[in-house]
Amino acid sequence: MQRRWLKRLALPLFGLLVFAAPTLLGGSGAVYSAAVLIAIFAVMAYGLDVIVSDLGEVSLAHPVFFAVGSYTTAWLSTRAGLGSWATLAATIVVALLFAAAIGLVTLRLREFVFSLVTYAVGVVAITVASNWAFLGGSDGIRGIPLLDLSVGGLQLSARNDRELWPYAFALLAVTVYLIDRFRRSLLGAAAIMVHLNPRLATMAGTDPARVRLQVFLFSAPISAAAGWLYAYQRAYVSADVLENYFLILMLTAVVLIGRRQLLGPLIATAMVLVQEKFFSLGGNVDKIVLGAVLIVILGFFPQGLMGLLQPLRRLLQRGR
Amino acid sequence: MNLTQQLINGLVLGHAYALVAIGWTLLLGVARLVNFGHGQMYMLGAFVTWWAVVKAGVPYALALPIAMAIGALFGLLMQRVMLKATFEQNLVSIMIMTLGFGYVLQGGAALVFGSTGQILDTALSRSEIKLGELWLTQQDLAIVLVAIAVFVGLKWLLDGTRIGRLVRMVAEDPKLAQLAGVNVRRVYYGVFAFEGAAVAFAAGMVAPRTPILTSMGFEEVIMTFVVVVLGGIGSVTGSYVAGVALGLFTALFGALVSPAYTTAACFLVLIAVLVLRPGGLGAGSTAGVH
Amino acid sequence: MSGALLQVRDLQVDYAGNRAVDVRMLSVSRGEMVGVVGANGAGKSTLVNALIGWSRGDPVVRGEVELSGQRITAWSAHQRVRAGLALVPEGRLVFGRMTVEDNLSTAFAPKASAGQRVYSRDDIFELFPRLLERRQHLGSQLSGGERQMLGIGRALMMGPQLLLLDEPSIGLAPMLVSQVLQTLRKLAASGLAILLVEQNVRAALEVVDRLVLLERGRVVLEGPAAQMGSDPRIAQAYLGAHA
Repeated sequence: MQRRWLKRLALPLFGLLVFAAPTLLGGSGAVYSAAVLIAIFAVMAYGLDVIVSDLGEVSLAHPVFFAVGSYTTAWLSTRAGLGSWATLAATIVVALLFAAAIGLVTLRLREFVFSLVTYAVGVVAITVASNWAFLGGSDGIRGIPLLDLSVGGLQLSARNDRELWPYAFALLAVTVYLIDRFRRSLLGAAAIMVHLNPRLATMAGTDPARVRLQVFLFSAPISAAAGWLYAYQRAYVSADVLENYFLILMLTAVVLIGRRQLLGPLIATAMVLVQEKFFSLGGNVDKIVLGAVLIVILGFFPQGLMGLLQPLRRLLQRGR
Repeated sequence: MNLTQQLINGLVLGHAYALVAIGWTLLLGVARLVNFGHGQMYMLGAFVTWWAVVKAGVPYALALPIAMAIGALFGLLMQRVMLKATFEQNLVSIMIMTLGFGYVLQGGAALVFGSTGQILDTALSRSEIKLGELWLTQQDLAIVLVAIAVFVGLKWLLDGTRIGRLVRMVAEDPKLAQLAGVNVRRVYYGVFAFEGAAVAFAAGMVAPRTPILTSMGFEEVIMTFVVVVLGGIGSVTGSYVAGVALGLFTALFGALVSPAYTTAACFLVLIAVLVLRPGGLGAGSTAGVH
Repeated sequence: MSGALLQVRDLQVDYAGNRAVDVRMLSVSRGEMVGVVGANGAGKSTLVNALIGWSRGDPVVRGEVELSGQRITAWSAHQRVRAGLALVPEGRLVFGRMTVEDNLSTAFAPKASAGQRVYSRDDIFELFPRLLERRQHLGSQLSGGERQMLGIGRALMMGPQLLLLDEPSIGLAPMLVSQVLQTLRKLAASGLAILLVEQNVRAALEVVDRLVLLERGRVVLEGPAAQMGSDPRIAQAYLGAHA
């Protein structure tokens, strides 16, 4: 009984710790900046996590959803003067539209064709974002206003990364909660079934294609919401939000700790960004390191870092 | 716009597309593997050729085999790391690993070759052939001739030789091929080495046409993907025809509509085909190479 | 004991902690035809996979498998084939997209060993004239019986010392089953060792020298075909329903 209470408290306690972390680590601008980015990129990765870990497919389109979130927010806030809540709502809607289009086209195709199509969408998106004047062309969209979620008389705005942190944390917390709920839901269970044994799933009355589409639709707005916040954080958006850095980062975040670990993407994103921000070896070497980490994990430690802990855990249990 | 000139451009472009895609055709058809590092391997081939010719003063005809050798070695390395995943047909891992390899190449190439664009000039690319008002470079002509030769050669290899028969066995059913005494692992290595060498060769031949950057390669993957899928996965002849057709389409679209969005247009063509006639790409269809 | 072509000792195959096969002793000699029978799930196919070296799904294999005194336990499938072990698998018999002629080709040049015959393509056509008639047809165009013949022919071209067959009678009409098994009997008579895994116990009993009954991965009964045919356990479980 005691253990169950401890488990129930563990996650919220950890959440409090994470929230206080930037202050505990010195509270400097750089720390808050890193924390906000970690939160944003982790949320971006959680969208992909659901597809890769639960559904078992490789979607290379989530960077596009992230970009869709950023561009929608940028455009609507600068050209149409919409507030932050409105841009968030619009982000979710546009992300769903994109996901629906991609999902319906690839509905009955083989998994690797799905991956190729999503990859192609990403590449085409870069071309469009860099060339289309509507989206600012190669200059992008600048002058995005500050995040302002004020409602009623409550002032909820952020002028810098330090003030942005509570909102970034809130987005992260909501995302983790949603992922957890998804994994406990019927759709989550169906996703696993479709992943592990599509034929069995069909015989159990589940339509794998529909499940794939639904999970895809669930995951897209998550990555897009990360893009929404990113636009406010950077105050400008350009085609470099579609660089394959984000894709590689997301993939690493999903596989580094282990599949289907609730806090995996968060911890992994933190590890990568801390290396990048505080222990960088130069942009290109960092790329080599990140790519190499992805290869080594999948090639030699497919269970992720958690897999390394398994034998250790077994040793500890036996000792008890 | 001179239509005939565009058709010539299109033919050259098409043969280039087909040549770049040949490694993928074999890789996908025989080993059912998707190599997302293809674009970066193309970039590597282009830069190795450039470095050999421009920086090391090696004759072009020697630079190509050097690039091919490095490409083949990289392919072997990739397959060695992905061996377990290949045998388990763990496509998710393979796809992500190839993305990782591509990213490593990107960083590595930028480190070694720098981030500025370079031009690979060869004697062939500088010399033009004029037919009245129409023109193309000798490099362009070489691309067409070489592409045809490679395709014919590969088809003959697959259909008419013992090695080709073994490769077709592995393509259709690797387990049954083992029962015929085929060392399937060696075939997979061979196919990946071929992909590495072929894409490097294609890069060496085609790169003189445009400036090369260490950030390039993504569009090449899309075009290769479209060529292979439109031509029929594993079909050597199909890839050739699809490549040439796509080249003509690209040239005409670029001239008539917009040069910046040609890749996007090709991708839309592919989507249209996928939606209307999924054919051999629906779930559950088998591969093979022919 | 010695002189046996195939010698299996303490073979244990575990899948995710479950023991699928636990065979203490199994041997096949030159010119001998041994039948392995048992119900579905008894471990017959797992045994065959372990013998040929197919490790689907990461099983843990322990024990020893020896071919002509050589330890092949750690060898990969294609190495065992080159050493003289051939398998006619269940279900995947031919390369559907290749012609009969192409199907009957080898990846290596089998050596004639200890009086063991190396079958050429023409030899196979002599053995199965039907295949000669259909030599340019694709594997996918053959009937069930023709595929079985092609599967056996393909395996024979490997010049095996031991031929493994996994349920050759599946999907075949009784007359064809009889034909195929009689052909195997003839091959055994010429010195080929054969291990036949079969569900159709009645048919197997007609051609094999020895019968082995597998239950839950263990050998529960073993003996000459003549004795086994009248053994109540076999009769009850497998022949009773067809009596």
